Amino acid sequence: MNLRWLYLFLAVVLVLWVLIPIFLIATLAFSDRPSVFAWPKGLLPQQFSLETISFFFGVEGVWKAIRNSLTVAAMTLVFSVLLGAPAGYALARYPFAGADAYRLLILMTRAFPLAILAIPLAVQFIQVGIYDTAFGVALVHTALALPFAVLVTSSLFLGIPKELEEAAWTLGCNRIQAFLRVVLPLALPGLAATAIFAFVISWNEVFAATLLTLRERTLPAFLLTSLNDSPLPFRFAGGFFLIVPALIFIFIIRRYLFTLWGIANR
Amino acid sequence: MKKSKWLWWGLLSTLLVLSGVLAQQTASLLFVSTQFTPIEEAQRMRQVILKDFQGRVEFIPEDNAPFTNRILSEVRAGRVNVGLAGGLHGDFPPLVAAGALDPVDDVMAQLKDRRFSQTFVNLGKMGTGNQLYIPWMQATYIMVANRQALQYLPAGANVNTLTYTQLKEWAANIQRATGRRMLGFPAGPRGLMHRFTQGYLYPSYTKSAVTKFRSDEAESMWLEFKSLWQHVNPQSTSYDFMQEPLLAGEVWIAWDHIARLRDALNQKPGDFVAFPAPIGPYGRGFMPVLAGLAIPKGSPNRAAAVAAIEYLTRPEVQITTLVQNGFFPVIQVRLPDNLPQGIRMGADAIARQAQSNVALPSLLPVGLGARGGEYNKVFQDTFARIVLRNEDVRRVLDSEAGNLRRIMNETRAPCWSPDPASSGACPVN
Repeated sequence: MNLRWLYLFLAVVLVLWVLIPIFLIATLAFSDRPSVFAWPKGLLPQQFSLETISFFFGVEGVWKAIRNSLTVAAMTLVFSVLLGAPAGYALARYPFAGADAYRLLILMTRAFPLAILAIPLAVQFIQVGIYDTAFGVALVHTALALPFAVLVTSSLFLGIPKELEEAAWTLGCNRIQAFLRVVLPLALPGLAATAIFAFVISWNEVFAATLLTLRERTLPAFLLTSLNDSPLPFRFAGGFFLIVPALIFIFIIRRYLFTLWGIANR
Repeated sequence: MKKSKWLWWGLLSTLLVLSGVLAQQTASLLFVSTQFTPIEEAQRMRQVILKDFQGRVEFIPEDNAPFTNRILSEVRAGRVNVGLAGGLHGDFPPLVAAGALDPVDDVMAQLKDRRFSQTFVNLGKMGTGNQLYIPWMQATYIMVANRQALQYLPAGANVNTLTYTQLKEWAANIQRATGRRMLGFPAGPRGLMHRFTQGYLYPSYTKSAVTKFRSDEAESMWLEFKSLWQHVNPQSTSYDFMQEPLLAGEVWIAWDHIARLRDALNQKPGDFVAFPAPIGPYGRGFMPVLAGLAIPKGSPNRAAAVAAIEYLTRPEVQITTLVQNGFFPVIQVRLPDNLPQGIRMGADAIARQAQSNVALPSLLPVGLGARGGEYNKVFQDTFARIVLRNEDVRRVLDSEAGNLRRIMNETRAPCWSPDPASSGACPVN
């Protein structure tokens, strides 16, 4: 019983941890300028105003940036699941020489500072002809999301007993059928989580997106530099503006992924 | 097999979007700039300042790191997209060092009737024989105070001829009366505090920024500034733009870049006064800020870039730039009488700062090349170690002088005003 209370308490703390900042950003995004500058700031919305938030809808290129962000994030999601899940499966099921080293090497891609790569990367992208395209940015984001995708899916597949797969083989499935009919359905919730994670990584990434695009900016690349130097009301409104599309998209895609993969009751 | 069908659909639609993105090619002038990054300023640049320009411009503001990296990568790859680059004087050295800028002597010749300030034209040569950028606009740093603070001015002091000693007394008076530390400096992570030490404090107290970096005068200057800091709002280390604490009433007296004080002056012109920086033993040190327009080598649309430069340096566009975004003209032009009050206050303070008989302007370093950032860091570190971390002044000055000397010797940069001219690298005595 005590454990249950502790569990509930922790859950509430976690929820508040996530929601309070979003709530504060939202209230200040919809307040008028003087109440944003006021100190101490009230917890509840002060003077309701749409002035700053509506400004963002009129900024030239903002809709294109939202569209680009969604395109890039969706591509990253697809690429990293398609590439990451097979790699994770291989790590989990086939003991091969250097598997441990491979595991570490994958993480090294995250440890490597992207800033050093900036100019060579941009030069390559220009020469290959994928500079300033959503596809190019999605490639870099996939590289950033892959370590997580591989490691998460490999532990996911490790957690599914090999015996189930073997049983399927004895009952007439070949390897691929056994994977698709037995392992995949069991791994789906984890795969969906991996996919959402890849999406979020891509949505939040600014450095590569700023460097590799000019006209085809993603939303964070388009707004973040500007917001850093903008007055407070714009930072709150802009923060809100950056969060909301991601939240909406994640809610939609979460349901979509779950129903698509037949786990409707979660 | 329903699942894989879905996956294929997903993949197919991504490819469709992708091809759409690839097919979309526009032929407008790409104008990348490190200036006007705040979102409202960018918007006014696109909608108001560039409105009458014949031709399509895409104005893209960005931070100086991606700005530099992008132009360098594009020039190196031999396929340049950026047509026109706008930046501060200090943003161009890495591009000049890499040979990424197209000389614009021909553009300068076309614009010879514009009456540019000769100092700025020379700065635009970046120490070479060619014009590398065309002066675009200028700004400087001034002080702003809340009117409520004026009653605490020390006896006989006038804001327009304030000395550093009087500034300290003023802040002390306010602290005594209100119990709060109401003087503020932009010493936050993106603040411009190092410009204060380089261009205001050092010249005012030593008539130098480099040669007398570790002199006895500098030592007593830092001791004095440290005692002034007792009356400075401790939140200063988080302030990037002083207009916000001024508007919030957290700070009553502040020093900052005019563009970073504008909101306070524009939103509540009746609440604030603008005035020049304080005066030290050698006069009133101050520093201009200069932005320029350059054309990257291999610009896809040089003619359009030249046309945009011609447009942006027209007298009426220079004044629109001032009214909209608070940067001042670089050409000789009479300011109209109907300027908004906030801008008028700023303009008056700037004129008083530059024209008084104690004026001691600091030029921007010309010969530091790509090492300008390291030069700034010496001043940032000196400030942080002496004032914030309370280290021994003499020890800090001696150790930072070593860093400064190394930068000067390695770049062989000659002294610039107010330091006396040198034949070789500017010496740190």
